[in-house]
Amino acid sequence: MDLLTGLFTTAFLAGGVLALAALGEVLAERVGVVNLGVEGLMAMGALTAIATVAAFPSPTLGFLAALGVGALFGMLFAFATVILRANQVLCGLALTLMGNGLASTIGRAYSGMPARAVFAGIEVPFLSSLPILGKAFFSQNILVYLIYIILPVGLSYLMFRTRHGLNLRAVGENPAAADAAGISVNLVRFIYVTAGSALAAGSGAYLTLTFVPSWSDGVVAGRGWIAVALVIFAGYRPIPAVLSGLLFGFITALGFVGQARGWPVAPAFLSMLPYLGTMAFIIVPVLAWQRMRRIMAAPAAIGLPYYRDVR
Amino acid sequence: MSAAWRFQRLPSASPVIAFSARAAAILLALVIAGGVLSLTGASPLKLGQQVLGASFGSSFGFEDLGLLFIPLILTGLSVAVAQQIGAWNIGAEGQFYAGAFAAAVVGLFVPGPPMLILPMMFVAGLLGGAVWILVPTLARAYAGVSELITTLLMNFVAILLVYYVSTNAWRDRTANSATRRLSAEIPEFWGSVHWGLPVAIVVALLIAALLSFSRWGYEVRMVGSNPAAAHYAGMPVRRHLITVMLLSGAIAGLAGMLEIAGTVHRLQGGISNNYGYLGIMVAVLARNSAIGVIFSAALMAFILNSGIILQTQGLTTSAVLAITGLILFLTAIGDELAHYRIARDKA
Repeated sequence: MDLLTGLFTTAFLAGGVLALAALGEVLAERVGVVNLGVEGLMAMGALTAIATVAAFPSPTLGFLAALGVGALFGMLFAFATVILRANQVLCGLALTLMGNGLASTIGRAYSGMPARAVFAGIEVPFLSSLPILGKAFFSQNILVYLIYIILPVGLSYLMFRTRHGLNLRAVGENPAAADAAGISVNLVRFIYVTAGSALAAGSGAYLTLTFVPSWSDGVVAGRGWIAVALVIFAGYRPIPAVLSGLLFGFITALGFVGQARGWPVAPAFLSMLPYLGTMAFIIVPVLAWQRMRRIMAAPAAIGLPYYRDVR
Repeated sequence: MSAAWRFQRLPSASPVIAFSARAAAILLALVIAGGVLSLTGASPLKLGQQVLGASFGSSFGFEDLGLLFIPLILTGLSVAVAQQIGAWNIGAEGQFYAGAFAAAVVGLFVPGPPMLILPMMFVAGLLGGAVWILVPTLARAYAGVSELITTLLMNFVAILLVYYVSTNAWRDRTANSATRRLSAEIPEFWGSVHWGLPVAIVVALLIAALLSFSRWGYEVRMVGSNPAAAHYAGMPVRRHLITVMLLSGAIAGLAGMLEIAGTVHRLQGGISNNYGYLGIMVAVLARNSAIGVIFSAALMAFILNSGIILQTQGLTTSAVLAITGLILFLTAIGDELAHYRIARDKA
């Protein structure tokens, strides 16, 4: 029983990192922009949060600062890829290199420093006394509720139940048609790419303010890339993106439980699980069910810059 | 008479303008980096002098450059070859580790004279790299899964694997978190620079010749620029995709083999100075030309070496990564802007 509670608690906590970053990437990819800078944005967010709470010990401030830095880098990326229409893959990789490089250069001053303030758990009345789930989900910090309930439900409603959502999906599927219908393609893309980048940096802040409350070089450890892969697995939808983040939280938690219980597997191999698991999750479904390709298809204009004059 | 100026986008950029755009991007990136450095209180000019002095002022500095040059040629070539057929190999870092791992298996556990062991390590390195890209290759060829993310995810697995064996099973008692020294070494021909350098250059020239003059190379470039047309022309699109991606992995694996057999002499965690990621930069700067890779690898080696020299000034190799990212970012923008010309409409 204790084992289950621990497993679920860690899974919700660890999955939140991937879920938030994946939500951000869903926003960018739905309007037709692949942002491969998630890993670097997360590193910058993680460092910004640690540095901010070191100066002002308020986790909320740390999180907001990370969102701000993410939005700033996101605008830079959006300016290059949406306005100037530079190659999205190259700019994304460049953003990852810049983010990782900058964070680890600046971060040397904070290396090994525990976060001076972290998000504390909130016990939801009644619900927190439920068996297993009560302790595991309803006594978590406030960001967990934001990531698992408010954001996915809100974004899902926005995307699939409102006219604005129809517009933003049109921009990702057929920008020329959206343009003809009077939607400003570049403006929509710019806004959602920036918002997505802010969420990616926010997920880095979540990492260093709740899950691993300290900064060390390489703390993001490929989670940004896993998040990008999860978006494909989730078929570019907010709620499945969060659920697949949770699934990977479980895989991570299994690795922790394995280490704590002394399973006869080397920690290095348990650490490989999330990467290998991600590979399996994006390859196996398309191999097994051909229909999946159509249902889970990417927005048609993904990765393509929109040239109004040469359409 | 009224004339309107407007920007006109051309389908392909002229080589001269594209080259100038790249040069401008690199310069601008270095100026920005220098500006940021001077904000932190350092003097960029002094640092620049120090870098030039340490790189070109002594034969030691030149040798260091040579040693960084070798893996960068090959990882750059690896990325460039995959790009010829339209595939992104972001996993050169992992294939580098896999090649080093496979070569170390031979070097550590197969007894024999170096004359025999080195060729075996060479083959093992190629195979290690190819095996590491096998799953992403098949997933792309048969299920249409983007190789971008799968090749990258394999990097983390390779790094963990090498870290594990060199700190556990194969750890040497005298060396901290590394295997024992490999008995077979690639001989040196100039200071500490070993024969891996000519090997890397020959591999690049060979690939360049194959791509330009062989039927295989023609078909590969054709598939890369228009897979549908290549298919209708009767070319085996899938088979070319598979062989080119495996070749790309093998080349990165070779870089790992040369690194441990010629430069580091043991297997240890962190043997790659981000060579795989910097290889992307090398390939982009070379516009995926195999010959061009040699020149852009030289430039990248200089930038990386500068970062290592400046470590004494409180800079780290991660600062080099950030500067590389900035160069890549500005290059991508410059590439796009090079497609435009200013046209004048007469009314």
